[in-house]
Amino acid sequence: MLSALTTIYRQPAERRKWLTIASGLFITAALVAWYGFGLAAPWAPLMTIAAVLAGYDIALRAWGALRIRQLSIELLVIVAAIGALFIDNHWESAAVTFLFMLGAWLETRTMSRTRGALKALIDAAPVTATVVRGGETIEVAAHEVALGETVLVRAGQRLPVDGEVTEGTAAVNEASITGEPIPAEKAPGSKVFAGTLAENGLLHLRATGVGADTTLARIISRVEEAQEAKAPAQRMIESFGRWYTPAVFVLAIVSYLVTRNVELALTLLVVSCPGALVISTPVSVVAGIGRAARAGILIKGGEHLENAGRIDTLALDKTGTLTEGQPRLAEVVALSGQSKDDVLLWAGIAETGSTHPLGRPIIEAARKQGPLPTAASLEEIAGMGLIARHDGHDIAVGSHRLFDHLEIDFNAEAKDGIARLHGLGHTVVIVARNGTVVGLLGLADMPRASARPMIDRLHALGVSRVVMLTGDQRPAAEAIARAVGVDEVHAAMMPDDKLERIRAMRAEGLRVAMVGDGINDAPALAAADISIAMGASGSDIAIETADIALMTDDLGKIAEAMEISRATISNMRQNLVISVLTVVGLLFGVYTGTIHMAGGMLVHQLSVLIVILNAMRLLRVPKAVRARAARAAERVAA
Amino acid sequence: MTNTKTRTLLRSDELSCPSCVPKIEGALRALAGVEKAEVKFASGRIEVEHDPAQTSVDALVQAIARTGYTARPSAF
Repeated sequence: MLSALTTIYRQPAERRKWLTIASGLFITAALVAWYGFGLAAPWAPLMTIAAVLAGYDIALRAWGALRIRQLSIELLVIVAAIGALFIDNHWESAAVTFLFMLGAWLETRTMSRTRGALKALIDAAPVTATVVRGGETIEVAAHEVALGETVLVRAGQRLPVDGEVTEGTAAVNEASITGEPIPAEKAPGSKVFAGTLAENGLLHLRATGVGADTTLARIISRVEEAQEAKAPAQRMIESFGRWYTPAVFVLAIVSYLVTRNVELALTLLVVSCPGALVISTPVSVVAGIGRAARAGILIKGGEHLENAGRIDTLALDKTGTLTEGQPRLAEVVALSGQSKDDVLLWAGIAETGSTHPLGRPIIEAARKQGPLPTAASLEEIAGMGLIARHDGHDIAVGSHRLFDHLEIDFNAEAKDGIARLHGLGHTVVIVARNGTVVGLLGLADMPRASARPMIDRLHALGVSRVVMLTGDQRPAAEAIARAVGVDEVHAAMMPDDKLERIRAMRAEGLRVAMVGDGINDAPALAAADISIAMGASGSDIAIETADIALMTDDLGKIAEAMEISRATISNMRQNLVISVLTVVGLLFGVYTGTIHMAGGMLVHQLSVLIVILNAMRLLRVPKAVRARAARAAERVAA
Repeated sequence: MTNTKTRTLLRSDELSCPSCVPKIEGALRALAGVEKAEVKFASGRIEVEHDPAQTSVDALVQAIARTGYTARPSAF
């Protein structure tokens, strides 16, 4: 029993909880005795005990702060409580100390839930790992895994390290890193991240990042640095807090000297703690950045969080953001007398010998028609195309240059077809049989299905100009721009041109966000008001340098970041208004004599709680976002 | 003089008001061998640079407990 009590005593949080409960019980007992049984005698002693119980911990903290020469809020409260006992106001003394403790306890609980968005991430990394050492599988602490060691992950387990799959396959849920709820298929060669969840299968990984050197750990430390980066308003409030407490003491003493009213002076001490004001902005920022992190959006600080909501111009490249980044077979053209199926079949037979990236989509499309026969002979002419012999026919498949090389002429129909496909922005592959052109294949980097709705959504959010800056040629760029609804196209741009374009737009007074994916975009990214990196989960540079890093390639996250930013800004404003009104209202109430000590403490603690609870609203995922995610999941499942 | 200091990271869930920041920092800096102590209110992180031979991680946790807050060491 005694040892249980000492254990509780040594745990500050437990101690405070039990002291608060005990204090509350004594207050209840006093109230029951007075109002229930009309007993006046126990009132003063019971209330005094309640005040001492709750006040004990407050006094400890006040003393701890005094020893390092600091006037604390606890000191204000304890002086007021002791003062109330001396003027025989036992009820006020007990109520003030009890409410202060109860409020602090509730505030701690809600505050830690506000920080909870990140806690889920921190907890995502398992503490132990199963490794293969000397032919045996053993359990070790996750941060003691050596780089290059083989780690085993079974179905239902979270990955303890970053690594590369060496054996096995599994569906891995990467929501903790990317915010993406649909699991990714992992096979030998795939990169995997600590903190992600293997939903089935058995994986052998070669560890490439351990402990603090994992993508997860870097994300967490980036997010925390962002939360800690103080907004200007916050710095002002903190320096204000430094002279505020001494000022309240002076105000209380002066008020006493003027009015000779002890209770008024003591009440001033209690109500003027600037609690709500001091935390009003940081709680909103912490909640906003935490909420974004949970959706796979890393916002690197309060400043960027604010700016993100004010973007009116978005500049982006084409490849990998608006398009899939991989060529697809967009069109098959059969010249007169030929069938499309045959053209594709001939092309497919020849392309089986190709190592070129354009070969794969052609082979895939051809295989959909049926099995591809093997050519009798195959030759790749580097940089031009392929020559094959099959079933007594000579097949040539490739670019314009191959046909110049083979001295095969194009007839008017072929020339028209090539010009038309070029006009659509397609890359043209020409197919000939026995020295005659039989057909054309148009290959293109197709726009993503999600690109159009995403750009519509950005427009709806007030991003009036979506600008494409791309190194690609104009026809290809314009074809994509038309398909997805981009407002402005600048094609064939070098990195310096992109930089100039961004500068010019900023000079027009626009607030420009730039989405980039690589080194070549770096100058333009640096020149923009906000730089956004996409698909950052594999790239440290993107996480380190961008103002906002999206962990997936999903353009929709930009709109989501803007929505979170706007919600956070208005949340911050609401909190400032609530806390300023509370302080002003309380001071007014005290001087007009309408608010006494216990009531003042109650209002003050409530205002702190309201500010925290208001910030917690940011953590909820809005219905619209949830519905969109559900629709996306259905599309993928279908 | 050899450089023996290490960096220890602690976390606390109990920081509900920034007024605790100077209190905890002051208590940590008063310990022997602590060169730097920084409390981040927003994230609840406490970063300490100290000489483990003079002040152990456990002693840091104890010192924070004496100011009225629970903290625990964290890998990252």
